Amino acid sequence: MDIFVQQLVNSLSVASVTILIGIGITLIFGLAGIVNFAHGEFLMIGGMATWFMVGAGMNFFVALVFAGLLVGALGFAAERCLFRFTLNRPMNGFIMSIGLSVILQHAVIRVFNEFQKSITDPVGLVWTIGGVDIIAMRAIVVAITAVIVAITYFGISRSRYGMALRASVSDRDTAELMGIPVRRYVTGVFIYGSLLAGIGGALMISLFPITPFTGSVIIIRGFAVSLIGGLGNVGGAVVGGLVLGLVDGLSAGYGYPEWTDAYSLVVMILILVLRPQGLLGGTLGPKAS
Amino acid sequence: MRQLGLGLAMAAAGLAMALQTARADDELPIGVIAAQSGSFVSAGNTIVGAANLAAQQINDAGGIKVGDKTYKIKLYIRDNRTDVNVTIAAARELVNDIGVKAIWGTETHDFSVSMAKITGPAKVLQFSGNSSLGAVLDDKAVADDGWLHYAFQSEPQEWQRSGSTAKGVLSLLTPQLKSPPKHSVVFVGNDATGQYLSSHYVKALEAEGQKVDLVQYPPDTTDFSPLLTRIKGMKPDIVHFWYNGDSTLTAFPQALKLGVAPSYFLFGVDPGIYQERSLKADVPVTMSCVPVCWGSSPFPEVKQYFDKYFGLGAAKGPQSSVSLLYYDYFFWYAKALEKVGKIDDPDAVVAELLKSDYKGVVSPVPLVFNKHHQVTFATEVCMVEPNTSDQFKCAVEQPPAAPPPGDNGG
Repeated sequence: MDIFVQQLVNSLSVASVTILIGIGITLIFGLAGIVNFAHGEFLMIGGMATWFMVGAGMNFFVALVFAGLLVGALGFAAERCLFRFTLNRPMNGFIMSIGLSVILQHAVIRVFNEFQKSITDPVGLVWTIGGVDIIAMRAIVVAITAVIVAITYFGISRSRYGMALRASVSDRDTAELMGIPVRRYVTGVFIYGSLLAGIGGALMISLFPITPFTGSVIIIRGFAVSLIGGLGNVGGAVVGGLVLGLVDGLSAGYGYPEWTDAYSLVVMILILVLRPQGLLGGTLGPKAS
Repeated sequence: MRQLGLGLAMAAAGLAMALQTARADDELPIGVIAAQSGSFVSAGNTIVGAANLAAQQINDAGGIKVGDKTYKIKLYIRDNRTDVNVTIAAARELVNDIGVKAIWGTETHDFSVSMAKITGPAKVLQFSGNSSLGAVLDDKAVADDGWLHYAFQSEPQEWQRSGSTAKGVLSLLTPQLKSPPKHSVVFVGNDATGQYLSSHYVKALEAEGQKVDLVQYPPDTTDFSPLLTRIKGMKPDIVHFWYNGDSTLTAFPQALKLGVAPSYFLFGVDPGIYQERSLKADVPVTMSCVPVCWGSSPFPEVKQYFDKYFGLGAAKGPQSSVSLLYYDYFFWYAKALEKVGKIDDPDAVVAELLKSDYKGVVSPVPLVFNKHHQVTFATEVCMVEPNTSDQFKCAVEQPPAAPPPGDNGG
């Protein structure tokens, strides 16, 4: 029983980082209509920046904020210099983002090196409750994710900005006629999604080491989460992240462990076949005009 | 005047060509194919680092005296981008366009085998540090007309390395545990190399009396906690993190936090990295390097080598010691060329390598190629004292004389 509960606790913290990257993707892909395959590299850069700052003596939680801001700025630059030119041609943007991901990987290798980077556990505590080991930093990651999810959810569903954004997704032309600066909103979503990736990278490196290639692995899960939940749906990304986290944790614990990745992707395929709009429904994603 | 100008130009061109030819005559072109980008970059960079150091040392010492000429090594380094197709293209270029006499690399089995299909027919020697090449190096393949006649495996066969490692791990851990260890879990990445290597290591542990469970994880896993929790439920005496040093460095701290086992073995993690990262465990931890450790080697020549290797700017990584799978062979090859007295007789060089030995850095025992073009040397295993990051005790156990039961020796 202890082992089973331990697996559930593990799953929750795994799900958290996945949820963060999933939210970023679901916003950028589902609302701004940009397929950014370099989003995983944004997360990786957030982690690398955190590693660098913590190595220079900065407190982890301060570094986390700076990592988010840095990657947000990177997102702004990428959107202004690259993706704004492909808004009407999502496939071009997609291919371009693949190129960008490779460039970012090798830029990081050039600046640092190819070896994995890690930081000392910022909290360094393990709580044992009823035979279950709870790593304190994992609990903090879950808590930070919960706060970000809440802010994002209410920002999208309740705020004026969120309503305007959703109106832009429903009908871009009408939204523009109503005076909504759609282009600026797209930029804003891109920056916010990138900022979340930066924070996700910082949280990730507090749990596991990262390499310049971490992003190319995590991006698949990010897209899976956003599609399972429903594109553009923050709540959907949370549900998608939890589903994948639980499937991962329990399949690794009780199934064939070497197939762990396959289990979660099978679940994704099944959900997309049975509910193409995702579990909670969402937008139809990018539209070429 | 115009004719004079033309004449001068032709003379200058002729002189330049003559100089070019003269320089080419004095150079020994050697190729290096390694991953300098892509996922194998950690291992690939070590080949380049070793080649640069060896070539520099040989050239600084005056070069290689072959017959009445002295040759300086000229390296042609190509990045295979961790891609088999790029590897093949690079091999074709080095063999057909540049005319290298030998190639060092690559770091992975499949790529090496693909390269051998190009180097073999062209009679270009190939030195690859894959323990897995044992699966293809047999009597027929290395015969005079065989497709691997010019290929050499610069790392021991896997059953030898596994046997040496298993003996080293158990000899260091047994005195540290309350009772002799009986149950081992081998935790390994589920890729072709992981499957191949762990199959031999499991047999080697079983031959040492261990009950072994094998748990495989998907490559690129970063969160190992679900799998480690599963292993904790198996109640092992030792968890052996096998094969991929980077993955091990990710999984091991997670295992410590979850208290998975009373002792651990980390394959391919150098004591130097353990120390640099200030890792600490309250239980005994062993680690091994391929082939000897840069962080805590008892051999002065190894320490000297790594001082020079890192002095050239190579990064300190968990796989830095892999560079030694390539370094010694430059000197051995040079020695064979000097003995043969010609650089254009690869068959004679192969014959000379097979009948000679070489005492280098990688092993205190002179290296010898067996009839299948493979070497034998021991693997160094070190144990870090509990609650320390820098107190190491190392052991070098010689490989077994024969494969263990159930291991076909491939």
